[in-house]
Amino acid sequence: MRFILRRLGFYLIAFWASITLNFLLPRFMPGDPVSRMFARTQGKMQPEQIDALRKLLGVDDRPIWEQYIDYLHNIVTGNMGISISRFPAPVTEVIAAQIGWTLLLGGTALVIAAVAGNLLGILAAWRRGGAIDSALPPVLIFIGSFPYFWLAMGALYLFGVILGWSPLRHAFSDGAEPGFTSEFLSDVGAHLVLPALTIVLVSIGGWMLGMRNTMIATNSEDYITMAEAKGLRPGRIMFRYAARNAMLPSVTSFGMSLGFVVGGAMLTEVVFAYPGVGYQLLNAVQGLDYPLMQGLFLTITAAVLLANFMVDVLYVRLDPRVRNN
Amino acid sequence: MTQPRFLRSARITAAGLAVGALMLTGCSATVNKSGTSSSTSDNTNAMLTIPREDMSTFDRNFNPFAPAVNPMVNQAIYEPLLVFNPAKGDTTPWLATEWKTAADGKSITFTLRDGVKWSDGKPLVADDVAYTFELQKKLKGGYEYLVGATAEGTNKVTFTFNKPWSPALYEVGQLPILPKHIWSAIADPAKDANATPVGTGPYTEVDSFQAQSYTLKKNPNYWQPEKQKIAGIKMLAMSGNDAANLASVNGDVDWSTQFIPNIEKTFISKDKEHRHYWFPPTGAMINWQLNTTKAPFNDPKVRKALSMAVDRDQVTKIGMSGYAQPADCTGLSGNYEKWKNPAVKDNCSWTKLNVDEANKVLDEAGYPKGADGKRTLKDGTPFEFKISVGASSSDWLSVANVISQNLQAVGVTAKVDSPDWASVVAGYEQGTFDSGIVWSANDPSPFKYFNNAMGSATVKPVGTKTFDNYHRFGDPKADALLQDFVAAGDEAKQKDVAYKLQEEYNDAAPLVPLFSGPEWGDYTDVHFTGWPSQDNPYATLSDRSPTTVLILTTLEPRK
Repeated sequence: MRFILRRLGFYLIAFWASITLNFLLPRFMPGDPVSRMFARTQGKMQPEQIDALRKLLGVDDRPIWEQYIDYLHNIVTGNMGISISRFPAPVTEVIAAQIGWTLLLGGTALVIAAVAGNLLGILAAWRRGGAIDSALPPVLIFIGSFPYFWLAMGALYLFGVILGWSPLRHAFSDGAEPGFTSEFLSDVGAHLVLPALTIVLVSIGGWMLGMRNTMIATNSEDYITMAEAKGLRPGRIMFRYAARNAMLPSVTSFGMSLGFVVGGAMLTEVVFAYPGVGYQLLNAVQGLDYPLMQGLFLTITAAVLLANFMVDVLYVRLDPRVRNN
Repeated sequence: MTQPRFLRSARITAAGLAVGALMLTGCSATVNKSGTSSSTSDNTNAMLTIPREDMSTFDRNFNPFAPAVNPMVNQAIYEPLLVFNPAKGDTTPWLATEWKTAADGKSITFTLRDGVKWSDGKPLVADDVAYTFELQKKLKGGYEYLVGATAEGTNKVTFTFNKPWSPALYEVGQLPILPKHIWSAIADPAKDANATPVGTGPYTEVDSFQAQSYTLKKNPNYWQPEKQKIAGIKMLAMSGNDAANLASVNGDVDWSTQFIPNIEKTFISKDKEHRHYWFPPTGAMINWQLNTTKAPFNDPKVRKALSMAVDRDQVTKIGMSGYAQPADCTGLSGNYEKWKNPAVKDNCSWTKLNVDEANKVLDEAGYPKGADGKRTLKDGTPFEFKISVGASSSDWLSVANVISQNLQAVGVTAKVDSPDWASVVAGYEQGTFDSGIVWSANDPSPFKYFNNAMGSATVKPVGTKTFDNYHRFGDPKADALLQDFVAAGDEAKQKDVAYKLQEEYNDAAPLVPLFSGPEWGDYTDVHFTGWPSQDNPYATLSDRSPTTVLILTTLEPRK
């Protein structure tokens, strides 16, 4: 319990530091949202409109510490303000409308990649030098080192355009009626397969190699030899003795990745026109949309910290050594 | 080019990659999707499908005052008093049938068309027009010359100005008109989502709205029902050029205006019979702006010499994929074809490649070439400067690189500086930059272009933020002419002044004009026919300009 409280204190400080950075970083960028908007329209806006627009969008000219106090207050009360690039939609609404798709896509891809990658890693290490161990790692690393953009575009062209197996864009068919009907859910599933698959393809190699390498180290431990000497079934030794101990680093990276899922998969969203928050974040940064940027960064920070905290708690269960620390 | 540069440019690099991917994965494969050729079934019910490459999702917000207005709000839902078509240079009366400028140039009276109704069945009245301008000025500012708009009866509205202001006709005439009976009842018009818009346009009824697509169906009370030949418009949200390009290449959309690299091969070749594109040079003039507050750019001879060293054919071919047309010394883009002074245009010297002459001018002006072939300034420092372009604009970056290479031939060193667009623009606004590739105003009348290029009124001192005339050049001769221009009552007189402005521009070389920006547009006529083209330029192919409504009311389903 003391361990958990101490971790909690650490996370609070980390959280404060990151929200302060969230506040400062956008303000160090040159320009302000309105002059960016003006430059974007390339002469289609009248310069006389700038003041009115600044007022309309509520661009802040107050001293930075006053803004900071307001900002902290808003975070505590959950008031994130109004998005500038998607004026007049509130930031919470913009994020809420899209984060579901991000979590669906990122979560599905992460779980599949982590589970399949770890299983393959376990098998590869167990049968060292076997078919899986010698063939898969180079192939997966080869695929994983492709520029993601190229891979996704290629997959979309092959499976979407040439073979026609997969829809080309969006999270569901235009005009489909959203709801918990089997039709709609299978439509969403069909639109999810290819984007998730491309993410799995580029990330699975890392999971597999990581697991394989720790597992090889674990396999040479005395207790494995002991288990074998006792005549336990190989499957039992593999999963209960070797894999369980080799699992710890994977759990940590899973927690980290889980937190980062919230940030969205920008390139996937660009290629498949998937309605997640990653592309929104890019737009917010380009348009200096402080409120939306802050909202998204805050969500990401909170998610990463939360996921890490959960991993910490899980560690207490998984690894007795942590408890005595 | 109507796409915002920040957004568009970020994707051009990516688009290049994407096309590479398309080619590698089997460009030769023919498009065999059902969407294209086989659906001859019933085009009368087909939706005109258009991708929007800069919006990943839509909000149900049809407020025309929103900073990022939803597509088609100002094209299909709300309509202006008149439509100016830059492709042909003509003006089509729209909600107004005629207009008259007062003899002193200080007011214009529009007569509204009879029988125009809002989509809720109420008639359009002059009060709506007056109210629209009141609201526009209150919420968005601008129109500083406009004292007010007064309705006279139900079908006449008079705009009065605080000074003679001839460019007002198009600025006033092209603002989409809103219904007073709806908007005066809205508590906060700036923030209202206007989820169910009421307009005079051809397609006003929002249908099946979703985060990534929505449909606009026919206005049941349209004033020219015989022109609503298509069933409706369907907008698709795309998070970038790549997704939109795939939709275009695959024939899933009818009309698109995003940048397609190597369009002949990637797009046209898939269906030569039905697919077409047209890039009229009616976009803004893209200039190379030299900061005239800095030496040696304060010397017109230097500006002209540098301009002569630039190979504009190479610039447009390499930098702009051959989609743009080189500029001439009137400084005017293809948008202003009818305003061009033939005497100036036919005798251009400093906008044509002439390395020998450029060298000669620089020698004579006192910028000697050293033994190493590099020139020095009058104070003995090397003739070196930066060309600033945003890092994400790969097309303009290659333009800057071509210029930099060209300048080596005259012994001048130009370094291409490419930080983020925001810091580039901050440098422009503060006047701290050396030189940059910059867009310019694109209006029906050339007033704003010349005013921003050489009007003293737009010059701000270095360190004070400005949003036009980044190069900070003012010219008293041009000021007098600009004054004459706004006071000129009719177009013949304006043209006369515009001719003189071009002569002055040709003398002073305030900017180095590079090329006319193209207005992108491509389409497939599988489902709909009647598109504008080089031979029938009744509009540009833009889907987000005032002329778009002309296309929407001309297209008809293929039989």
